[in-house]
Amino acid sequence: MEASRGITTEGVARRFGPVEAVRSIDLTAPPGQVTALVGPNGSGKTTLFLMLATLLAPDSGRIEVGGHDPVIEPDAVRSLLGWSPDVFGVYDNLTVREYLEFFATAYRLPVAERRPRAAELLELIHLSVFADSPVHVLSRGQKQRLGLARALVHRPRVLVLDEPASGLDPRSRVDLRELLRAQADDGVAVLVSSHILADLEEVADRVVFIDGGRTVGEHSVRSLPQTRARPWRLRSLDDTGLVAALDAMGMPHSAAGPAGVEVSLGADEEAADLLVALVRAGVRVVSLAPSGGDLEAAYLELTEERR
Amino acid sequence: MTTTIAGIRTVAEQEFRLRIRAGRWRWLLGLWFGVILGFAVLLRLGLAAVDATGDDRSAGPPLFGGVMLFVLGLALLVVPALTAQSVNGDRERGTLATLQITRLSAEEIALGKLAAAWGTVLVFLALTLPVVLWAMLEGDVRLLNVVVTLGVVTLLLGVVCALAQALSAVFARSITSALLSYLTVFALTIGTLIAFGLVTALTNEKARVTYEQPEFDPQTGRVVPGGEVTTETYTTTRVRPDRTWPLLSPNPFVILADSAPRLEPRIDPRTGRREATPLDPLGELGLAIREARRPPDDTESFVTGTGTTQEPDPGPVWPYGLAFDVLLAAAAVVVTIRRLRTPVRKLARGVRIA
Repeated sequence: MEASRGITTEGVARRFGPVEAVRSIDLTAPPGQVTALVGPNGSGKTTLFLMLATLLAPDSGRIEVGGHDPVIEPDAVRSLLGWSPDVFGVYDNLTVREYLEFFATAYRLPVAERRPRAAELLELIHLSVFADSPVHVLSRGQKQRLGLARALVHRPRVLVLDEPASGLDPRSRVDLRELLRAQADDGVAVLVSSHILADLEEVADRVVFIDGGRTVGEHSVRSLPQTRARPWRLRSLDDTGLVAALDAMGMPHSAAGPAGVEVSLGADEEAADLLVALVRAGVRVVSLAPSGGDLEAAYLELTEERR
Repeated sequence: MTTTIAGIRTVAEQEFRLRIRAGRWRWLLGLWFGVILGFAVLLRLGLAAVDATGDDRSAGPPLFGGVMLFVLGLALLVVPALTAQSVNGDRERGTLATLQITRLSAEEIALGKLAAAWGTVLVFLALTLPVVLWAMLEGDVRLLNVVVTLGVVTLLLGVVCALAQALSAVFARSITSALLSYLTVFALTIGTLIAFGLVTALTNEKARVTYEQPEFDPQTGRVVPGGEVTTETYTTTRVRPDRTWPLLSPNPFVILADSAPRLEPRIDPRTGRREATPLDPLGELGLAIREARRPPDDTESFVTGTGTTQEPDPGPVWPYGLAFDVLLAAAAVVVTIRRLRTPVRKLARGVRIA
């Protein structure tokens, strides 16, 4: 089905004067999956999203959103694309309900559907109690959720969200994950950027790494490349004994802190071996767990190269 | 991309609603009405004091004309403040991009915003209606006059709205567009006057004028009917405003005054003599402006006082000025639409999309 295609970009580039914001980005965000776009600040995420959102024309390369080229057929793309930027303003003098109803009108929803759709979305983002409050009383996180509802107002088939988790409390982040998952399960192609990698790892099916305006990796989250070494966190009942045992093994480690001791380990086997060795040495280990997820490890490795 | 009336209305209603909720309108509109009423009261008292209304001359026309000129001047000061942040203000607040990615077209956004700005100005204009009604009750102000004058003022303020909006679409910072909007109003009002004055001075030329003098009766000092006409030729210098009047025509005050229907001279039915006509500031100003169009005559006559081959009315100035201003506004709307069109290829300096 034509309209159910997700996002494809090939060799997309865009410069602003002398600054090459995006040099060459290839990515795919297939329908029914959540694709995470991960990269350091200034790597071109927001510029790429502006191009996907029909706001900015690429200098070169090809973009397809829902089967349409955003430069040639922006209206076709807009009718099936939901976009929420990293920073946006709201109309402070409207009520929350009026805000959503306005966008329902702007997306040309039939008159009879506007009010129920706004109510439905408010329910979804748990802002129903604020329906008749002015938008300006909302907190930053609540505004972020309202922006998400706005992006969903016309039931888009492609969802592009720039940093949707910023400013959200833990409860809302869990809600956001569930919402993104539900959208993907509905067949929506979801492309999301975030710095909260632990969140992305739980929701994303795929991950695209970009750096310096280029795609540097595109993986399924389950098959993230095994990294050389990454931090693991060790906790025991007796930190002094733990540190002494590690020193005896010649294992480099961080100083003992309230969260325990950090060590750098490669594959999972290394961790298992270390645990066995520590237990044999009589250290009463409470936990040994990777600190940060696979995604964070992969990301850190990626950005390490720049240092 | 389609442009629909419904889309324009969506933007206009939204924009109007935001404007109404944002400011202290009750206070501002009250102040506006108070200032205009104050002006009208002082003008009326002044007219009575200088006996401009003696000989049963009505105070209606001078009151109406004076108030309309004042309202136009005041509105020209208000409009840039209301419109000069229409586009870049939304950009600064981060609400423009979320609007641009909806299915509303650039045309719908531009025209909707313009309609809202213009509508706001019309609210101000509507508040002057009680004073206009007062002038009508004073007598001698015809409904046609009121309709034409208010229509022209409405159109002129729409022009300024369109210009200010285009500036807000072109410049990234609202302070820049506000400043340039005021300079535009200055250029249209004072600037056209200065340009007209300076350029007219450049048209200074030497001309040979023939003066026709009839034969006088040396006893009575009166002209002898059918007597011999002697001509005398002399050289003079003169300026040619008939070549430079278009410079003056875009001036909103000129357009307003010249377009207002003039009072017809009235004849007393009993005596058959011309009655004293009321002071008519719009009409007088309009006549003075039209005089600029009158080409100089190379023949002067003692009898008529001026040239011998003159038309009674050199023709109106306002259609040219109004056409120029409306074309300018149309160009401004086109610029605004182009600036709102996405996807953007070339981004102006300092402009952030989102």
